Amino acid sequence: MEELVVGIDLCDAYTQINCLDEEKTWTFPTVICKNKNSDEWYVGEEAYAHTLLGDGIIVDKLVKLVLKDGTATLGEVRYEGRDLLRRYLERVLQFPEQEYGRFQVQQLVIAVPKLDARLLDILYACTAELGLEREHVHVISHAESFTYYILSQKKEIWSNAVGLFDLSEERLRYYELKVQRGMKKTTVLTEYEELEEAFNLDILNSASGAKLADRILCSCGERLMQRKLYSAVFMTGKGFLKRDWAEDFMKLLCTKRRVYMETALFARGAAYRAMDFLHEKTSYPYTCICEGRLKSTISMNVLHKGQETPVVVAAAGDNWYERVATIDVIPDQQNTVDFIVTPLDAKQKKNVSIPLEGFPKRPERTTRVQIQISFLDERTMDVKLKDQGFGELFPSSGVEIRQEVMV
Amino acid sequence: MSLLLCRQEHVSHPYFMESLGIHLYSSQEIAYVIYHYPLLVLDGFVGDGLFAFMREELDQGFLALKLERWLKSGERVDDVLVLLLQEIGYCTQSEVTQFRQLMEDLRKKHAAELKKMKADELFSMRQYGRAVELYEELLMVPADTYVNDEFRGRVWNNLGSCYARMFQLEKAFDAYEKAYNRIGQIQILEQLYELSQIDSRLKLGDRLTALVTEERKAEWDEKMKQAREKAAESEQLRELEQLFRKDPIKRQAGEAELLRKWKQEYRSMV
Repeated sequence: MEELVVGIDLCDAYTQINCLDEEKTWTFPTVICKNKNSDEWYVGEEAYAHTLLGDGIIVDKLVKLVLKDGTATLGEVRYEGRDLLRRYLERVLQFPEQEYGRFQVQQLVIAVPKLDARLLDILYACTAELGLEREHVHVISHAESFTYYILSQKKEIWSNAVGLFDLSEERLRYYELKVQRGMKKTTVLTEYEELEEAFNLDILNSASGAKLADRILCSCGERLMQRKLYSAVFMTGKGFLKRDWAEDFMKLLCTKRRVYMETALFARGAAYRAMDFLHEKTSYPYTCICEGRLKSTISMNVLHKGQETPVVVAAAGDNWYERVATIDVIPDQQNTVDFIVTPLDAKQKKNVSIPLEGFPKRPERTTRVQIQISFLDERTMDVKLKDQGFGELFPSSGVEIRQEVMV
Repeated sequence: MSLLLCRQEHVSHPYFMESLGIHLYSSQEIAYVIYHYPLLVLDGFVGDGLFAFMREELDQGFLALKLERWLKSGERVDDVLVLLLQEIGYCTQSEVTQFRQLMEDLRKKHAAELKKMKADELFSMRQYGRAVELYEELLMVPADTYVNDEFRGRVWNNLGSCYARMFQLEKAFDAYEKAYNRIGQIQILEQLYELSQIDSRLKLGDRLTALVTEERKAEWDEKMKQAREKAAESEQLRELEQLFRKDPIKRQAGEAELLRKWKQEYRSMV
């Protein structure tokens, strides 16, 4: 039986699901409803329907609820936000499963507007409880999803900069993707800006409100896009489902460049990413720098077979949440562990030295130091240095140093 | 100044190095003992056991096979050790060269001298039981220009020191007597005198008693007194006193731990 490759765009207001090889995309409000009289749960429009009928109790803004460690009392039972999110995901995944008759998820990528370590932990825990193996689930940012969506299009679409306006009930964001060619490895840099000019979509219901919204977008577009060369500009989000209100903004965009409207851009981008996880060799041989990815390379100079060699412990473009590294070294006439942090602009390279404070004094080359590296976010590296001793010759003291390094 | 990169070696069954009485867990530890204890690795260290450890635990099957073939093709153990040091990369090139030279120098020595050096090394590592075996073997070596009375006297002396440290005082007394009879060093007489003071069953014969003058006796008694005073102030004794001041439950646990440590120490000595 074939298995599913699923991309989910999970926001507080809506959720979209796309299975790449199929055209269909499901869009639901991110709400869950429990039947008052039984243990039945509903999601999406069905949830609203039962609430209107009066036999269901609804909970919305599930992501926010989870992030603030909130609970919801449905009937007489108090449910934790994370429990509700798990039930929600379980039901949401049933839509493609039932539609395509495939009940095994081979790869699932969830795209979220903003990566938060706690949300990541909870999403991985929820999917684990649903029986999905850790290596089959990944959580990425909208920025990364946009990157994969664009890189999956024809090359002429991303020969120059690519812009994206995301207008939803929750936010107005502008993303920009730039490709830096001619380096050792082509680098794709995606950044975004949260626009303070965001507005409530309800204003689009009146003529004056629509005009104001159009003016707001025009001013944003002029500010963000001036003097830049774009090969394409995309629009996504509920706010752009109808575009008749944005006449001037559309004129501004459609000047010497391709303009596309994609309603499920983040879900499709997530699905492209999921598909790539299936392949041993990536179809995207680029260094992708965006939210969720490291912006610097962290290396160490070590002696290997008499030769000084740089060892990369984390590379720019690595997913910070998933990047963990453990290496063992033996200091020779030095009592520090040194890292080299190299951002994309190599001129800003810096050295970080962590002294082995509290480590016992031993003869030279008889202390093995275990270096464990992980990341708390894309800017903070968590380093643990542990005294491993030197076998039974010089037993370990158990001393451990922990330090956070800004990268 | 540098950091040596270590291979990831997940050892579940370490290699037991008999001559040192310790387990080795990594290729760096192998290099360390080769470089620091050349006398203990000259014979019996390189062999099937080490190759199996390298193959099965260190994931160094290729190197193990290479060394095995080298050895079978008649290469000297010394060259295998040098190759091992080079391949592991723990020692610098100059250290490897120095080690090679040291090996050559050692091989030029008389077999009995080499064995005695090895036994002395074991003695310095507090491996008294293993040192005793070698000293006893040395006493069986037929006499020649090197293995003469003086050599045997030195061996008996060291044998006596081993027994004394293993608290086998009668054997120690006997060995020191034989050593003194061969080389007649005053320090050996001092050891005999001290043993006779520690254990009342051990008596110096008339001939030796006559050699312990009043002056010497006073000097040695003073030395013993100082040694006792120093021991009374030692860190270990202080720890022991602290232990006995603790409440019974904590004391019992501490006693058990200390006893276990002492037993382990003694077992590794003998």
